[in-house]
Amino acid sequence: MSNLFVRKATGMVRSWSVFDAFIYAFFSINLVTLGFYSFSQMYYFSGGMIPALIISAVFIIFEVVVYASLIAVMPRSGGDYVWQTRIFGGSIGFILSITGWWFTLWLWTPIYGDMLRQIVLTPLLGAFGLQQAAVWIAGQGNALFVCSLLTLVFVAAVIFMGMKTYARIQKYSFYAGMLGLLIVIVLLFTGSPEQFKAGMEANSAAYFGTQAGVHDATAAVGVAAGAGTPLTGGSFFLIMLTLPYLVFFNLWPNWGATLYGEVRGATDYKRNFAGMAWALIATTALGILFFLGVSKTIGWDFYVQANGAWWNYAWGYTTEVPPLPVWPNPAMLAVFLTNNRFVQIVVLLLMSTWWFGWAGTLFLSSTRVIFAAAFDRLLPEKAAELNNNGTPVNAMLYMVVPAILVSALYAYNLLGFRTITLAATQGIAIMYFGTAIAAIVLPYKKKELFEASPIAQMKVAGIPLITVAGVIFGGFLAFLLVEWFFDPWLNPDFAPAGLYGISLANTNSVIFLLVTYGLAAAIYYGFKARRKNEGIDLDKVTAEIPVE
Amino acid sequence: MTKLFFATDIHGSDICWSKFLNAGKFYEADVLILGGDMTGKAVVPFVHQGGSNYKVTLLEQNFQITNEDEMTDMRKRVRSRGYYPYLTNPDEISELDKDPNRVHEIFKQEVLKVVQQWMDLADKKLDGSDMKVFCSPGNDDMDEVDDIVRSSRRVLLVEGLVTPLDSNHEMIASGWSNRTPWNTEREEDEDQLKVRYEAMISQLKDPKNAVFNIHVPPYKSGLDEAPELDKDLRPVLAGNSMIPVGSKALRAAIEKNQPLLGLHGHIHEGRGTMRIGKTLCINPGSMYEQGTLLGAIVALGKNKIENFVLTSG
Repeated sequence: MSNLFVRKATGMVRSWSVFDAFIYAFFSINLVTLGFYSFSQMYYFSGGMIPALIISAVFIIFEVVVYASLIAVMPRSGGDYVWQTRIFGGSIGFILSITGWWFTLWLWTPIYGDMLRQIVLTPLLGAFGLQQAAVWIAGQGNALFVCSLLTLVFVAAVIFMGMKTYARIQKYSFYAGMLGLLIVIVLLFTGSPEQFKAGMEANSAAYFGTQAGVHDATAAVGVAAGAGTPLTGGSFFLIMLTLPYLVFFNLWPNWGATLYGEVRGATDYKRNFAGMAWALIATTALGILFFLGVSKTIGWDFYVQANGAWWNYAWGYTTEVPPLPVWPNPAMLAVFLTNNRFVQIVVLLLMSTWWFGWAGTLFLSSTRVIFAAAFDRLLPEKAAELNNNGTPVNAMLYMVVPAILVSALYAYNLLGFRTITLAATQGIAIMYFGTAIAAIVLPYKKKELFEASPIAQMKVAGIPLITVAGVIFGGFLAFLLVEWFFDPWLNPDFAPAGLYGISLANTNSVIFLLVTYGLAAAIYYGFKARRKNEGIDLDKVTAEIPVE
Repeated sequence: MTKLFFATDIHGSDICWSKFLNAGKFYEADVLILGGDMTGKAVVPFVHQGGSNYKVTLLEQNFQITNEDEMTDMRKRVRSRGYYPYLTNPDEISELDKDPNRVHEIFKQEVLKVVQQWMDLADKKLDGSDMKVFCSPGNDDMDEVDDIVRSSRRVLLVEGLVTPLDSNHEMIASGWSNRTPWNTEREEDEDQLKVRYEAMISQLKDPKNAVFNIHVPPYKSGLDEAPELDKDLRPVLAGNSMIPVGSKALRAAIEKNQPLLGLHGHIHEGRGTMRIGKTLCINPGSMYEQGTLLGAIVALGKNKIENFVLTSG
């Protein structure tokens, strides 16, 4: 029996496939780029990586609930910027979102560039026998800067070709990347430590010209660097201390969530939730599988030691190049289990698609927030201009030009920029914190809006689910922020000094935050004053019109 | 200088209509213009269960109504999303399931009832003020809406007309769109739209100082980006793939005539502003389901736009 009659009207679309939503969320918490990269940097923790993965996923499920709920109440509205503006007013929404979705993404550029070379270029150059080029591209300074510029060229190309084309590239990348990962996992589970050691000796010499005994020498350097993160175990406290680093990888299942359309009922809400939640669960499961495979064949201790050897050098705690002079890319280590160069190249190419299917969205949210701010007259009208091809040239320049500057600072480690890698996560987490608070208060501050939404009846012990999820996710973010700002391990005698590197003791990090938030505030209040002179009261244009 | 307020696609939302009528005073505008698509998309049955009890399913959530206060509250909730409450019983629902024509009749009856209420409210609220209110129903609005709007003393139906806004500016208006996948009430091929636009443009005294209040946005303006759909009307690639769906005939008309301003709607997620040559095109977007009236304030000067801003009220 019908409980709703709809008529033919524009926009009456059917729900999209949960699997499609899953793919984009799955690529946002990208195991091979963000995952492999951040896992490798976590070589000096004392909490087990597998329990840390599971516990972080449990917290992040509540993030998924928060975002799926906000989409249900305010769909197609522009995401964090609009949600916060509607709940808190213009200034907070603008400053948090502009910083989180735009300025912080400048810092992600050299990080994406670093992943491009370590995941794609270095292993492939090595596989093709270009030893010197492979080692050069993995090096510091110029190589990283060049790769950051290559990243920007790729991102600009994606913006030029448009999301219609890139969304298809992403889907093909998903299938190719999954095939590559499947082969890597099979190699890890079917190989043995002896095979790996022999394969590494032979192949790393062929790829990068390493000396005999590279395996043991790498392990020794790693031990000296303080490598010791366990696979399992560690007290709950120690596991919790790993989470502020681990979220660099998995805090993003909601990355494409603001694209989600009209939610016409509890079923659509559940579909949106399922797309993101399954991506988180699947990625976590794959991460655990990957760890177990590494442990079986590469050896957990060696994996952590090789990472320690590389990052201790890359972060500048030693100037001595490690025996393996490149990042120990686990996919590359896995293909060392076969001596068939063709198979190696095919697998490395397949694994490269994880980067190409993911990196194009670097500035996707930035473009949206720049457009939204320009439409709100908080940026020049030209910021949202399209050229004849439909490309947002000016918005692209707003992203690319500062990103080149930040990439140079990062690549050449000027002003200690390389120490603030995690600030790239911190800036977005601060914005998420604002959204979590907005979610908590929404049912009370916008009562009518909430009660006429598809989630009005979703309650836990009489409290709206969105509020409960907001408290848990907000509490988790508060924990992360406290840990980041008041790092519990600041002993300068150890390297690295501090677990996360972005505490208040790191003046570079503090300056970065102050500059970005200060810039956002200056833009907001500057344009507000300018518009007032032009006769536009920006407070009024976002105020609610009385109904009576 | 004339200050106009433009909103569109309010799709049956009582809250948005009330806000629209109050927007003139709130934003100190001289003219109120409502773009197309005034009417809602869904009827929600309130199924009688005996006595004072009704069962309502809103957004796939079941509610039991047991008294008059709950009934009032639920009606308000349903109307706040632009849907139409319809009191019925299980027998009638069973019949309606088998009779789409009867469902269509009920839709028409409920839609027109609300449009009439809106016109009555406008006449009452704006009585004694000198606020001008213009309206041109959109592609989702049935023909019968026009007659009801025509009957209003304060709301002027401007579909297909050249309407003076002040001594310097005229406005052409149409709610007709190019073809959509839904085969809606007012849509036609691009060549027919071209004829429709030219018929109005040819009557303009000064096209360069005109306002083109055309429901559909111009093609490839960025204001017309909508999710790409498959043959089953399902967004492909989880909504990541956006494509332009605006009118090519309108784009050509704007490029040729270069009016001062284009006011558009139709694509709710297409909120934004864009220049096509010298023409400022605006689609304020729509968030009617949330009771938020998205709009645009534009100050028209002689031969130029003095200023403009998108609003969220």
